Amino acid sequence: MRSERWLLAPYALGGLVLLAIPAAATFAVAFLELDLLAPAEWAGIDNFRALLEDPIFREALVNSLTFAALAVPLRLLGALGLALLLHERFRGAGAARTAAYLPSVVPDIAYALLWLFLVNPLFGPINAALGLAGLPQPGWLTTGAGAMATIVLMSGFTIGEGFVVALAARQELPKELYELARVEGAGVLHTLRRVTLPLMAPTLTLLAVRDLAFSLQVSFIPAYLLTDGGPDRATLFLPLYAFDVGFEQFRYGYAAAMTLTLFAITAVLVGVQLWVVRRWRFDAGA
Amino acid sequence: MKATARPIGALLVAILFLAPLSFLVTGGLREPGLLPAGGFPLLPERVTLDAYERAFALVPLGRQLVNSLIVAAIAVPLSVLVASWAGFAMMLLPRRHRRLAVGSSLVLLMVPLAALWLPRFVLFRAVGAIDTYIPLIAPALLGMSPFYVLLFYWSYRRVPRDLFDAGRLEGLGAYGLWRRVAAPLVRPTTFAVAALAFVTTWGNFIDPVLFVNDPDLATLPLGLRSLAALGPTSFPVLLAAALVATLPAALAFAAVQRRFLQSTREAGWLGR
Repeated sequence: MRSERWLLAPYALGGLVLLAIPAAATFAVAFLELDLLAPAEWAGIDNFRALLEDPIFREALVNSLTFAALAVPLRLLGALGLALLLHERFRGAGAARTAAYLPSVVPDIAYALLWLFLVNPLFGPINAALGLAGLPQPGWLTTGAGAMATIVLMSGFTIGEGFVVALAARQELPKELYELARVEGAGVLHTLRRVTLPLMAPTLTLLAVRDLAFSLQVSFIPAYLLTDGGPDRATLFLPLYAFDVGFEQFRYGYAAAMTLTLFAITAVLVGVQLWVVRRWRFDAGA
Repeated sequence: MKATARPIGALLVAILFLAPLSFLVTGGLREPGLLPAGGFPLLPERVTLDAYERAFALVPLGRQLVNSLIVAAIAVPLSVLVASWAGFAMMLLPRRHRRLAVGSSLVLLMVPLAALWLPRFVLFRAVGAIDTYIPLIAPALLGMSPFYVLLFYWSYRRVPRDLFDAGRLEGLGAYGLWRRVAAPLVRPTTFAVAALAFVTTWGNFIDPVLFVNDPDLATLPLGLRSLAALGPTSFPVLLAAALVATLPAALAFAAVQRRFLQSTREAGWLGR
């Protein structure tokens, strides 16, 4: 049958024109000396050599990796935990599902404004609550660690997408399997490790890949709106630095080299992730 | 697990996730201006809508609300259609082509958005689409994200092949199979992707920043940004505007959430 090609055509065309070709163009520009003032010139790997010596790039890279290392496990465990807790029908499960998804529908900028208020040192409710409890009240956005913690914390509430996918995957597992495990006297943790997790592994892998790419790239918006990369560049993530270099300083070649590096890092980390999961599934006998 | 543990867990989850949002609701009900420092500001002493009035007076939020709705009304159905078609077509492809399509979708998923900004700008300027809604709607042409296409693909793959074979024997082509057999079976996925696509389009911030300078075409996220730039200290006004921007997304989610969030083992949504 040929007619399926027509159904694929819009996506193929859109993917080509809006994703693949622009990405290829950017990756080509990474090897050019290209800015607003001078005509383009072949630069070879000069841009990448300059990246290696750029202390700000190094900071941004470390920040992005730190963010991903904190946010991805938090978000994945959150989504998995919610799915395991709420996958059955019981009193309150439906309302809890809705509540857990709700922060994810708030537009990014509205969400950033909300958190600007929540962590405000003078009249924000978080520090007010900490004060009432007699706990120290950190200046969230005034210290590097506090600003990073704020952005990680923010990202921990917007896990609706991962939650829905994990929920569906958990609901798909046959009930009989769990009855069998119970008959054989397997405990809760044992069942989780030997039955649930291996069977959910493909879905969890997809989510981990999606979330890693997401964390390395989309950390842009809270940093842009909330902290502007500060204080002292503590939340200057790679996409934000690339935006600064490309759209404020108009050094296109250099910005392109940066995004190509980001893509390469994402690809390598995803590869490592897939490799680890494959080994782990093998160990688990799945 | 004990019978009572899960409901208690569910309650804690609900409290935890609703707590930050509660301030989005109550924050805009205070008088505009500086807040009293040090107090615990859950409930205002005097409930007033002045902050909303101020927000609408400072920035044309009403106009921007309409603009955002226009963009979403075109982009969301389009991206659901494109993603559903593409996912279905990918499932029908012969094995080698299918692997290629799935693999390249996964690779495209990893492309940094930052790598697309400049080339897309050049492209949109070349076709005269700067300061139109085209750049905001264009992502719908690829189903908003390869991730949504893959979600559809996995959903269709769970549908028993016999159903499609039977449809083919009745002489249905790919489109007929999709419309009569496949699409009705994956409705929960369709609603989930529609909700995700709406939220993505509605909150889209960077695209209007890059491609739309005409204030008459500004969407809500741009309005919120200019409001934040105008008066960074009046939290009630900012939170009022933030709630205005959030409500349509919350309502859209409320309208469809039953269809994909409240189902247990419903066929099609990554289920059987």
